[in-house]
Amino acid sequence: MLKKKWLLFFVLMLSVGFVLAACNEDDSSKEKENKTQAEGGDDGASGEPQKGGTITGAMDTAPAGVFNPIFYEESYEANILDFTHESLVSQNKELEFEPHLAKEWEINEDQTEITLKLEEGVKWHDGEEFTADDVVFTYKAMSTPGYIEAGGIRSSEYAERLLGYEEFSKGETDEFEGVVAEDDYTVTFKFTEPNVTILKDVGFSIIPEHIFGEVPIDEMPEHPATLNPGEVIGTGPFKFTEMLEREQYVLEKHADYWKQEPYLDKIVWRVVDQSVMLGLLESEEIDFIADPSGVPAPDYETASGIGHVEIIEQPDFGYQLMGFKINHRKDADVEAGKIEPDNWVPNEDMSEQKVRQAMAYAIDREALVDNLLYGHGSVINAPIAQQFWAYDEGAATKYEFDPEKAKALLDEAGYKDTNDDGFRETPDGKEWVVNLNYPTGNKLREDSAPILEKFLEDVGINIDLRQPKEMTAYQEELEKDNSDWDLYLLGWSLGSGDPDPVGLWNATAPYNYSRWNNEESEKLLKEAVKTPEAFEQEYRAKKYSEWQSVFSEDLPALLLYAQNKIYAHNKRLNGINPMPYSYNNEPENWWVSE
Amino acid sequence: MYKYIIRRILVFIPMLFALTIIVFGLAQLAPGDALSGKSLADPNVDPEIYEQQREALGLNDPIYVQYWNWISSAAQGDFGNSLIFNGRSVMELIEARFANTLYLGLFSLAITIIVAIPIGIYSARKPYSMLDYGATGFGFLGLAIPNFFFGLIAIYVFSINLGWFPSQGTLSSPGVSGFDAFTDRIHHMVLPGITLGLAGTATYMRYMRSEVLDVLGSDYIRTAKAKGMSERNVLYKHTLRNALIPIITLMGFEIGVLLSGAVITEQVFQYPGLGTLFLSSVMNRDFPVVMAIALILGILILIGNLIADILYSIVDPRIRYD
Repeated sequence: MLKKKWLLFFVLMLSVGFVLAACNEDDSSKEKENKTQAEGGDDGASGEPQKGGTITGAMDTAPAGVFNPIFYEESYEANILDFTHESLVSQNKELEFEPHLAKEWEINEDQTEITLKLEEGVKWHDGEEFTADDVVFTYKAMSTPGYIEAGGIRSSEYAERLLGYEEFSKGETDEFEGVVAEDDYTVTFKFTEPNVTILKDVGFSIIPEHIFGEVPIDEMPEHPATLNPGEVIGTGPFKFTEMLEREQYVLEKHADYWKQEPYLDKIVWRVVDQSVMLGLLESEEIDFIADPSGVPAPDYETASGIGHVEIIEQPDFGYQLMGFKINHRKDADVEAGKIEPDNWVPNEDMSEQKVRQAMAYAIDREALVDNLLYGHGSVINAPIAQQFWAYDEGAATKYEFDPEKAKALLDEAGYKDTNDDGFRETPDGKEWVVNLNYPTGNKLREDSAPILEKFLEDVGINIDLRQPKEMTAYQEELEKDNSDWDLYLLGWSLGSGDPDPVGLWNATAPYNYSRWNNEESEKLLKEAVKTPEAFEQEYRAKKYSEWQSVFSEDLPALLLYAQNKIYAHNKRLNGINPMPYSYNNEPENWWVSE
Repeated sequence: MYKYIIRRILVFIPMLFALTIIVFGLAQLAPGDALSGKSLADPNVDPEIYEQQREALGLNDPIYVQYWNWISSAAQGDFGNSLIFNGRSVMELIEARFANTLYLGLFSLAITIIVAIPIGIYSARKPYSMLDYGATGFGFLGLAIPNFFFGLIAIYVFSINLGWFPSQGTLSSPGVSGFDAFTDRIHHMVLPGITLGLAGTATYMRYMRSEVLDVLGSDYIRTAKAKGMSERNVLYKHTLRNALIPIITLMGFEIGVLLSGAVITEQVFQYPGLGTLFLSSVMNRDFPVVMAIALILGILILIGNLIADILYSIVDPRIRYD
């Protein structure tokens, strides 16, 4: 009896001890942390690269599981495919294209053809030789009728401009003329029109013909070589060999990698909840935190305080914006899914340029960056990623925080407080309420909405801060814009291939949710890709610089901030050299010191 | 008895049918579809492509056509493909997670029962003792602490600081197999199992205590004691049998809750189970997956209730079904 009593007592004490232990452990771990910090002078990064070792990376969401470059969609899958598959060209830190699987190339006079010489002796993970036929096959697959219906989304980006794409993708011909293998190691891409983004277009990851050659396109997404570890075949420095679905993804070195044998034996991706990631980094259960989420800005201090952790910070490709619904579409157009700028109905007040500019002056974006992002971001004034040659800070209007100027602009536009309620009325004396819509899903953006409301109310604009909507519902209303929306919050993550903003800001672009229609902008965007002048990067840079000045003056959207990516890794890991667009760069050079 | 079971199962069928209509209707009423969320993620993709995919997937068809397509293939056991997990079959997605959820659910139920019932009995036999007060305090605490918070504390203390238990996932590496895999799995389930079972433990303990107290005060127990029956026999033969009846009802309901209600715990421990899959499918409007899971959970809850009813008749001979 006594024994039992003690057992029960023990169980009880254990559960009480739980909570107490939580408090105690907190203190002791801090001490531990301080100690390692003090000792952590030597990071062991020096010395010769060593062979061997396993490292573990963390991402907060599991990949959907489609490990095929032509069918994957998410950055979580990219975290696997970046290691396993390669493209003909790659981009360097200045985002210029460099040889990769193709060692050299020649572009013809009018940029309709590019002939690339491939590296010889490149082996697929299963030992087969990589040849020009694989390149042809990859682009052919993306042009095949049924590719989109099977779930593929890359054709508009990479295949559409190829010669004969129209006919081939509609099934009118069996002959694919867009990409031709001249011999085993020479391949020519042919385009319908002179192509300004020719190097970007040839830079898609190559898939093996000897695996997928006989597979009908609609079966490819479910093919074992798309889904199963060990059967996914690429040319990259690591093979995808094992997985514990939704938990762990194991990459093993491809010893026959054409550049050099990778130093590391294994790279393991673990799916880890965001809230415990830093803890696991501290306890050395994981070695690095990288794309897509990185370390959240509020945790920067904690992460940099861990003695064995090194942090890399760089700007992200993308921005958050507060858009102005300058025009609305008519019901009929929305229903028919048509985007006809001529039919658009101007949105009262928001179509007033001075009002938009006044709002820009009223918002202290530096404060947003300092307080929301803890300084780990930047204010940008033009919607082109700042890493690009095309970004021109100087050309854009700055809109530094200036509430007086905002008030003056509103007065000038006729928006004055006529009934002394503290808020301005419209020029014809009616009550003026501006609605601000925003989606859930991005914590920082959600937090920014009430702050923006405050800034705008400070200059006398009555803001109706709407209930946030869940993203899918929000997107539908944002797109079907026969509503009463005035302001909307949204973020874009941009591609690193080419800076052309036409897909987001051209009048007829579906993603131009501001329904911005500016003649000068249309003209400049067209000119920027007009051949043959646009073959010169300088010419394009000049046009985009002019366009950025038009954009920032007419202001279809105020760009709030561009966030920084914060990566963290254990100092035992060496050779990490992230590109502006991806952390997973040249993993064959990564190595661990013991 | 058998007749009763068959009758109950026959009643299930129209209920499940109604369930599919309600879930399908609700899923379709929600604004947006599986592809609208995707299009914002990557502005480099022409939205026209998603329009073509909608057409191909039949998302532009009228609701009744979509429902008919779904139910006619579901009736043949084909739940179709997920709209989010590009081309992966719904059954394949659910299969792996279902096992995980089942293990975790049973494990946490086992912990709950092993801890809650003895403590409940003890505190009923020695009411207002130190242990009884302690257990009551623990009960309130257990019910009051949110799952995710308790989970995070548990991870922080027992995983990150003490290193006793792994904090994430179900296995330590894809390579383990055989008996090692079994122990590894159990090892991984300890923290999520306790977290998930915490509220349940508190509830069961309180139930058990009040039931036993109730029964101990009844006339037949006094009679049993009076005729000289040993303390032990009174407790096990007479008291427990009667006190367990409400617990069994509770467990019947619990089966469905354990399988569906673990969303937050699964998230914190990155334990890939049905709960997180269900949540993400709802968020992404991935209705083939939503429908399949709703159907499975519906069936399980109905089965859970049926089992509870059957157990009733075993524990309490007065209850007879025919």
